[in-house]
Amino acid sequence: MSANKEATPALEVHNLTATYDRQPVLWDIDFSLPEGSLAGILGPNGSGKTTLLRNIMGLMQPDSGYVRLLGQDLAKVRAQVSYVPQRESVDWNFPVSVSEVVAMGRYGPGKLLRRLRRPDRDIIEEAMEKTGILPLAHRHISQLSGGQQQRVFIARALAQQAQIYLMDEPFVGVDAATEEAILNLLGEMKDRGQTVIMVHHDLQTAQDYFDQAVLLQTRLVAAGPVETVLNKENLQQAYGGRLNVLSKVGQLAAEKQFPLREKAFRERKKPAHGEGD
Amino acid sequence: MSTAPILRSMVLFLALGVLGGCQPTQKPGFQVVATTGMLGDAAQVLLEGVDSVSVKVLMGPGVDPHLYRATQGDIEALARADVILYNGLHLEGKMQDIFDRLRHRSVIVAAHALPEEALLNATEYQNAHDPHIWFDPVLWEKVIGHLGRHLAALRPTQAQRIKANTRRYRAQIREAHAWAQEQMEAIPPKRRVMITAHDAFKYLGQRYQMEVRGLQGISTTAEYGIRDITDLTDLIIARQIKAIFVESSVPKRSVEAVIAAARSRGHELRLGGTLYSDALGAEGSPADTYLGMFYHNVSTIKQALQ
Amino acid sequence: MEKVIDFLSFQDPTVRLVVAGTVLLSISAAVVGCFAYLRKRALVGDALAHSLLPGVAMAFLFSGQKDPWLLLLGAMVSGWLALGAMELIQQHTKLASETAIALVLSVFFGFGVLMLTYLQHHGGGDQAGLDQFLFGNAASMRSSDLYAYGLVGMVLLVIIGAFYKELKLYCFDPDHAQAIGLPTRGLRYLLNTMTVLATAIGIQSVGVVLMAALLITPAATARFWSYRLRTMLFLAALGGAVAGLGGSFASYLAPAMPTGPWIVMVLSFLALVSIFLAPRVGIFARMWRQRQNQRKIIRENLLKAFYHGLENREGDQAWLSRPEWQEQRHLPEWEWQIGFRQLRRHRWILRRSGHYRLTERGLAEARRVVRLHRLWELYLSRYLALGKDHLHPGAESIEHLITPEVEKELLRELDYPEQDPHRSPIPYKS
Repeated sequence: MSANKEATPALEVHNLTATYDRQPVLWDIDFSLPEGSLAGILGPNGSGKTTLLRNIMGLMQPDSGYVRLLGQDLAKVRAQVSYVPQRESVDWNFPVSVSEVVAMGRYGPGKLLRRLRRPDRDIIEEAMEKTGILPLAHRHISQLSGGQQQRVFIARALAQQAQIYLMDEPFVGVDAATEEAILNLLGEMKDRGQTVIMVHHDLQTAQDYFDQAVLLQTRLVAAGPVETVLNKENLQQAYGGRLNVLSKVGQLAAEKQFPLREKAFRERKKPAHGEGD
Repeated sequence: MSTAPILRSMVLFLALGVLGGCQPTQKPGFQVVATTGMLGDAAQVLLEGVDSVSVKVLMGPGVDPHLYRATQGDIEALARADVILYNGLHLEGKMQDIFDRLRHRSVIVAAHALPEEALLNATEYQNAHDPHIWFDPVLWEKVIGHLGRHLAALRPTQAQRIKANTRRYRAQIREAHAWAQEQMEAIPPKRRVMITAHDAFKYLGQRYQMEVRGLQGISTTAEYGIRDITDLTDLIIARQIKAIFVESSVPKRSVEAVIAAARSRGHELRLGGTLYSDALGAEGSPADTYLGMFYHNVSTIKQALQ
Repeated sequence: MEKVIDFLSFQDPTVRLVVAGTVLLSISAAVVGCFAYLRKRALVGDALAHSLLPGVAMAFLFSGQKDPWLLLLGAMVSGWLALGAMELIQQHTKLASETAIALVLSVFFGFGVLMLTYLQHHGGGDQAGLDQFLFGNAASMRSSDLYAYGLVGMVLLVIIGAFYKELKLYCFDPDHAQAIGLPTRGLRYLLNTMTVLATAIGIQSVGVVLMAALLITPAATARFWSYRLRTMLFLAALGGAVAGLGGSFASYLAPAMPTGPWIVMVLSFLALVSIFLAPRVGIFARMWRQRQNQRKIIRENLLKAFYHGLENREGDQAWLSRPEWQEQRHLPEWEWQIGFRQLRRHRWILRRSGHYRLTERGLAEARRVVRLHRLWELYLSRYLALGKDHLHPGAESIEHLITPEVEKELLRELDYPEQDPHRSPIPYKS
């Protein structure tokens, strides 16, 4: 873990406020994570974990605030950031095979109108091998178990060969073999200095898996090394029920379609450090 | 975006619709409503000189009576009319329901002037007749007589004038018939084949010994497919027919397909001209009256086929 | 029969024209339709077809059906307005997507009908009858139409070929497509434009009302036969081509046969056939599998009954009489008949004057089934903590299901037991 305060953090979230269906889901989230960390985003259901991840990935636009990855705007470092979504996010009856899905990790704006080459195919095979699904390469995705499906997504992310991996609850509903495979992968990634940021549902295993933690309950309860974050008071705050007044204010805002931040105070894409130098 | 303005406009639309459906006030004078242009023209001629007569024709120039669907305005006009003229024999195929509901009004049906033996059978529909009776001037003359009698009965004060008009008009039609016979006889028998868009001209054919073939059947609602185009093209090539006719109220596309097919098979088929089949010509054109249309059709046919 | 040969020789120029046109249009509609189907936007395809009517009618008003390009332009404008309207409604009101689609469909279509009726009332014969647009007029296709629409159709296929993998990804996982930086908005516009174009050209052959069939039926049919997108696209295109050919043939065969509806009939027929005949998922396949399963169950039950009969006997008698056998298990007579036939067919049973005995292989098979039954009961009692009376029903069906691999695992798991929960011996090879 890098103690050098001047090193560029892998992820910086700055005063992020986001709504979903007009209801505020994230209020003023502000934290950063250093490179090479294995971080868990934790919190009860409805605390905004997936929304946070989607905002980081640019799949949703925040109401105000911004996100920096490796010190830059997402658009500039997309190739370095890889996303593993929840399994329910796709229709597993789609007519593709396992290797076709993993191959999607190699697509990108640079590959438009170009076929995948041999180096791409090698990378794809290696990714499948690392996640233990190489024997399933030609199987149709509807014939996979839950754990195998998860591993397909992870293989796809690996094939991208990114620096930062964002994962949404990869351990949910998987069998022991898959769990082991994922943990091994995480270990390897840490050794290589890659950053993994994961939404996780289980507090008990969080202590063992992660070195950094971000505890959410619509607002940031705590962020930092996992031992300091997961103490009694923090957990009580996060899991002891929602902030009633905050919820009521949020509801009012939704009903009256009121903006959560006045225009003058909406912090948007400011030029990042290092840009324009 | 709030829904209130949308709601308001919807209510406005509904209100207008309701208002529009209200009964209008009766106009003064003798209101005649005719479906086809031919009948409208007949009414105009027969009622010439009679004051405060207004003749409204529902199906204007170029409108196909087989496909015509009455609008709300038409129904109102029919409701207000003092007398309604329609062809019958399902020429106005999509208006039959409306006619059935008009029984209590003064309705004159052209087809009723003719005995059943005079009518041609429609080959595709059992118990139905070919409705294109106006193409045979001998038959149409009878229709005019029938029309005249009934109009005179409806306007007894003007009966003399109406009867005189009827007599004069019938003489004109007989004159046209004599002229047409002369024209048609001049066409060599081998060339007396008329190909048109739909089977409208059977009565004409029968009267003047012309063989008549259409791509679509008696009604333009009939479908046509490759077989119909091919069969017609086969006939055209076998009989060495030189010209084919489009009709003013039917899309040209079907006839153009036959011309294209014949040309691809090496046979030069020309467009003989436009015939006025189920509707009169535009206002101001020579074919905007029944007689005008008749003369135009016969001379076009004569010129193309001889 | 000679009509078939005449047709396929393509000597008739009308046949050539119409077949070329309908086949090309059907293929492009089918391929584009696959993507609409996979994005679960089949309904939008139908709405889109209906929404093209006002644009086509306007173009008609100006060009009198002479210019195919103008018609395409009109259709594009109308189609894009409709798509935009659907999106606006969904974004800015609380209406569900289906409501938005239905709303746009009815309004645009109604407006189109209004325009065409107006044309019908006031136009010269150059204006079309409503029916031509509603049901298509493939039989009177012109070569200018064929060139224009054929060109567009081929361009569509080329574009799909060029952007195949990106389109595949976008339809499967749009989030991922966006995450890796693909221009998702552009892809969405591309797909929408292609759908509008494929629909606009398809209307010429089957008309507005039936267009949805041309888009979606081939895709849905192909789904029955393939697991891969490439195969599915190919099969859908093939289905479309066959339908185009079939529809044209029907129109060639008999008079007054409209091509468009017949194309749709052929497509529906193919779909129906697929529902029944497709391997694995087809109805016949499923019925057959069910039958096979039933037969297996019956014959294995008979074997088990015989084995029980032997167990209950004293002494080493290998022969059982019919009644002795049948009293081991209560089954309806017809099942016995089927079972006997099965056992004889597999050569598991010998018969001599009313008495039966199992062959070597029959005995081994009987042992296997009984073993599986008892092993499973043991498994249930150990791991599911079920009481003794609850074990039998569960084991009754599972015993037919367990494969040799699972059997091996079961034996390992239970450590090669000798008795089941009822203390009956578990038969291994003797």
